[in-house]
Amino acid sequence: MGVTLIVGTKKGSAILVSDEERADWTQTFALRGWNVTASARDDSGRFYAAIASDVYGAALMASDDLEEWRQLDAAPRYKPGDKGNPEHNRIAGAADFAGRYKDGGRFVDQIWTLHAAHGALYAGVSEAGLFVSRDRGQSWAGVDGFNEHPSRANWVPGFGGLGAHTILSDAKNPDRMWIGVSAAGLFRTDDGGKTWHPKNEGVSGDTGQCVHHVAHDPDNAAVLYRQEHRGVYRSDDAGDSWQVMEDGLPVSELSDGHRCSFGFPIVLDRKSGHAFVVPLDGDNFRMPRAAQLAVYRTKTGSRWEAQTNGLPENCFASVLRGAMAADQRSPGGLYFGTSSGSLYATNDLGESWREITSGLPRILSVEAYVT
Amino acid sequence: MTVRVHIPPVLRGIAGGRRELESDGATLQELLVNLACAYPPLALHLFDENGGIRRHILCIHQERAVRPCDFASHPIRADDEVIVTNALAGG
Repeated sequence: MGVTLIVGTKKGSAILVSDEERADWTQTFALRGWNVTASARDDSGRFYAAIASDVYGAALMASDDLEEWRQLDAAPRYKPGDKGNPEHNRIAGAADFAGRYKDGGRFVDQIWTLHAAHGALYAGVSEAGLFVSRDRGQSWAGVDGFNEHPSRANWVPGFGGLGAHTILSDAKNPDRMWIGVSAAGLFRTDDGGKTWHPKNEGVSGDTGQCVHHVAHDPDNAAVLYRQEHRGVYRSDDAGDSWQVMEDGLPVSELSDGHRCSFGFPIVLDRKSGHAFVVPLDGDNFRMPRAAQLAVYRTKTGSRWEAQTNGLPENCFASVLRGAMAADQRSPGGLYFGTSSGSLYATNDLGESWREITSGLPRILSVEAYVT
Repeated sequence: MTVRVHIPPVLRGIAGGRRELESDGATLQELLVNLACAYPPLALHLFDENGGIRRHILCIHQERAVRPCDFASHPIRADDEVIVTNALAGG
């Protein structure tokens, strides 16, 4: 068994396939010209890639062999007349020649994440919303319990707009799921999506938590790790309460003076129980501190430790929220891509890293699949 | 009435690799609606949830740029050529 990486970039997707040892990689490039914002694989082994364009909108591609891709006829879309978030429309509707955004509509402009669970495929989108397909992407339905949430009028777009970017599921309880929205926080349903409840108690911030990413093990779903705009947190009760877990992490000053460990992705290696983050120098700079690209690793209850072996000392790139993944093999392999188009890999839980490709466009998403 | 419609390169993979498709209609709006009906995957890329033309799409008809707000009133004739493209900025 090797590993296949679907690396989504601003101009298409690099697809890298490894040998059994994860030592040698071959690379192809697909979906040329599209922002490839997310990918997933369903129970049948079919791959899906989310594509988007500032001009031509968002859609889904499917492939059974990672060579031939076919666009699905359907994609997540809001209903005509759904009322949009004015601030999101102001961001998304810049240079609005057709005037559509001025009408206040709600539009899907990007699919931020895809998640396969319990026989369904879920999509988190911006303007923030959750959609589900139960027929392998041939049709999509909005999850109204979330998309029409009573607090929606108070949701505030983040720097990249109002996006639902993280979906988690519980392998043992199909009625329980989580969804993260920038900048509205984390929500959980315990009734199969009918109702959703904010889960941000203990997270810093007075108005609208800006969750950046959340990771967990679906088989041990109550333990959650959260990279927030305002720091790194852990929950042992499925998100009911959160505690800061920054012992050993570098801390930077945010634009509002708050000091914490800022970053985007957070990833869990399920077999070893290690969590990984890539701290950046606060929200003003969004680049590695002192130009040293560094991954930090922790295991339950222990200090975070820096891992820089094999990572560059003159790096001014960032790592976006969807651009890091674990292959869940043993020992664990991790992969992350930078905004300057380099892709780094480790197959010893971060003890050593190496660049396995470079020269790609800005990397938006990385997913790892054992194949 | 048949009108040749040039497809932008990024959408050609969705249109079976073809550079040019045929459609018909009395106006640019009708032309694109009929095109989307004939090639459903293109509909997602040409029209938004409310049925409006996506905001950055332009058409060049007989070498003249036409903005989306004018598509519904812009007449076309048999054997015309329409290029679907997008608003560009640069320098």
